[in-house]
Amino acid sequence: MTASFPGEEWLKDLESKLNSDERYAEIAKNWEGDLFFIIEAHGNLKEPLTFYLDLWHGKCRKTDFNPSPADYPNPVFVLTATYDNITAILTGKLNPMTAMMTSKLKVRGNLGYMMRNVPTVLDFVRVAQEVTGDIL
Amino acid sequence: MQPILKIDLNTGNSSEYVIPHEWEREFLGGASLAARILYPHLTGALDPFSPESPLLFLNGPLGGTAGPTTGRFVVCGKGPATNLWAESNIGGFWGPELRKCGYDGIWISGRSDVPVFLWIDDGRLEIKNAERLWGQDVYATQDLVREQVGRKTAHVAVIGQAGERGVLYAGICCDHGRMAGRTGLGAVMGSKNLKAIAVHGRKKIPIAHSGQYAALRSEANRKLKQDNEAKVLHELGTAGAANYSEYMGSMPSKYYHQGHFENVDEVSGSKMAETLLVGQSTCHACVIACGRVVSLGDGARRKGPEYETIVGFGPNLLIDNLLEITQLGELCDRYGMDTISAANTIGLAFHLYDLGILTNEHTGGLTLNWGDSEAVRQLIHMIANREGIGELLARGSRQFGRAFHAEEEAVQVNGLEVAYHDPRGVSGMALSYATSPRGACHNQSDYFFVDWGHTVEELGITFYERHVQSEKAANVAVHQNWRTHFNAAVICIFANVSAQEQVELINAVCDLNWTVQDLMKSGERGWNLKRAINNRMGLTSENDRLPKALLEPYREGGAAGFVPDLAGMLAAYYHARGWDESTGKPSKKKLIELGLEDIARDLWLSP
Repeated sequence: MTASFPGEEWLKDLESKLNSDERYAEIAKNWEGDLFFIIEAHGNLKEPLTFYLDLWHGKCRKTDFNPSPADYPNPVFVLTATYDNITAILTGKLNPMTAMMTSKLKVRGNLGYMMRNVPTVLDFVRVAQEVTGDIL
Repeated sequence: MQPILKIDLNTGNSSEYVIPHEWEREFLGGASLAARILYPHLTGALDPFSPESPLLFLNGPLGGTAGPTTGRFVVCGKGPATNLWAESNIGGFWGPELRKCGYDGIWISGRSDVPVFLWIDDGRLEIKNAERLWGQDVYATQDLVREQVGRKTAHVAVIGQAGERGVLYAGICCDHGRMAGRTGLGAVMGSKNLKAIAVHGRKKIPIAHSGQYAALRSEANRKLKQDNEAKVLHELGTAGAANYSEYMGSMPSKYYHQGHFENVDEVSGSKMAETLLVGQSTCHACVIACGRVVSLGDGARRKGPEYETIVGFGPNLLIDNLLEITQLGELCDRYGMDTISAANTIGLAFHLYDLGILTNEHTGGLTLNWGDSEAVRQLIHMIANREGIGELLARGSRQFGRAFHAEEEAVQVNGLEVAYHDPRGVSGMALSYATSPRGACHNQSDYFFVDWGHTVEELGITFYERHVQSEKAANVAVHQNWRTHFNAAVICIFANVSAQEQVELINAVCDLNWTVQDLMKSGERGWNLKRAINNRMGLTSENDRLPKALLEPYREGGAAGFVPDLAGMLAAYYHARGWDESTGKPSKKKLIELGLEDIARDLWLSP
């Protein structure tokens, strides 16, 4: 099950995979936090793009494709990256830890929570990589 | 750069040492320049505690200019525990204040007949009696000196009782709890009967192109403030990555014999932020402010522990109480001794006690049960006072192990205790520890960050999987050169400021025309010079080693089953460095390539 990134189908596939992946369910069983992604226009992406995921105890409760930041004013984390960097992460060309440590993926939110749960973050990336097919 | 104030404590005479301009261009400042200046004086025969042993406090050219994390300085000399090149890096405000006195460094030699402290007020030196201060801890001493000189805003670098009593890992402290902890230079300062150096200045720090520099430093600071790592360090301190380090198997427990610490959540930076933290502290003009200010419920605001202290007095000794760890760290700070080496050496005592090598007879009846913070507290007192088993512990882990015919159990390299980044979890640290010029040091190359994913693309410092080995040797060498530059500049290694930005900052301050290649060449030059100093003092390739414990696999945790292939890594490293495998010296060709012809002559023509 893969889908082209970026797109609403990709986000739905990600939601489905997060809700069926046993490894993710175990690693993320204590995770409580929603994510708001901002993909900055770069390369093939001509307009900024957003997506939202509500992650809770190893499951994905909700996704939203290209919402306005005003729709989700207080997410636990806001993650911002250029299109080229986010696609590099999704295709495995950019290590997600490298992306965070070099600020190619900018993180805003509860950093204490994030640092306690890096394995969950990394497994979330694994799942996202597994549902990613073509890059548009 | 400005001159160095040279003080001979034998006579009380002082003079100005003008730094040769070509050395500034080649070595920049800080530790690399100190190595160049001290090179003729650091010989194998030199006793680090002799009057002629030099002690050099030195800034970098960016110190005090409000550049990104540029408020640090270095202290350099010969290490009493290692008998090798010694350098220790320290933050706070003391270094910039010295620059405002019109001096970029202070070079101490000789020994005073009685305890003294130095008072440098806007360039005017006074040598003052310190008998009243002798025996005071580092915090009280700073207050008493400020009171005695009548200047509340003076910044004071001091030693505690550990330095007075020659504890081989005594440090030098300033601005409350900032510590040049490693390599025992506090004991060298104590051997000179020098208790403190107070500075206060009003002069302008030289900047060649001040308008240009102001714009560059503002932009660099703005970007640094938005950096992910800077934000983690600000919010969580250096222990912010404790959980991840534990997950990777790079946070040692039970004196490097246990690969998993179940209660890591109890000792993490996140936990501190949620419980004890009441504020942040900072070095001069730093936008990160990684220093912790904590409250233990008694109304006092205290320095909170950073990662090394937390792991050293926490998982290393199986203590999982952050309040107790904070108290143990503060006790070491007050006595003026390095928490990494103190906790490591105490860990060795617990380990030898486990093995039955150390008994209650040796400890004076003190039982050493893992996790017993009270026993640790008593040992710290005994070390600082050199009482009972503390007399042996005060000599560091190598000598402590040797005293019990168990030197191989000591987790140290060349006499400096290993820090708390385990090469079984992050293999690059195997080379960092084995080849560091000052013993097992994590600051000459904090390669664990690279093994976690922190690449530096513009320098070709790329990512290799954490358990890849010899393939990353050249990468480690480049990273060491990069960090040698930081220790020359002197810039905090937490500053994610690109090499290109640093070149522009340096050029604006120093009126140089450096490129990134010049910067990296200077770093390589500094690294090789320190190596040559050590070679001249007797270091060979036999010294490039790791202790036994780090070459035995963990049974559990994120690094279970892995041990570094040090021999293979070293062979690749020597090749990348252009070093001679049989002697461990930089090749003559390499030294000449770096412009170190005189060093090449000394190293390769001497018998």
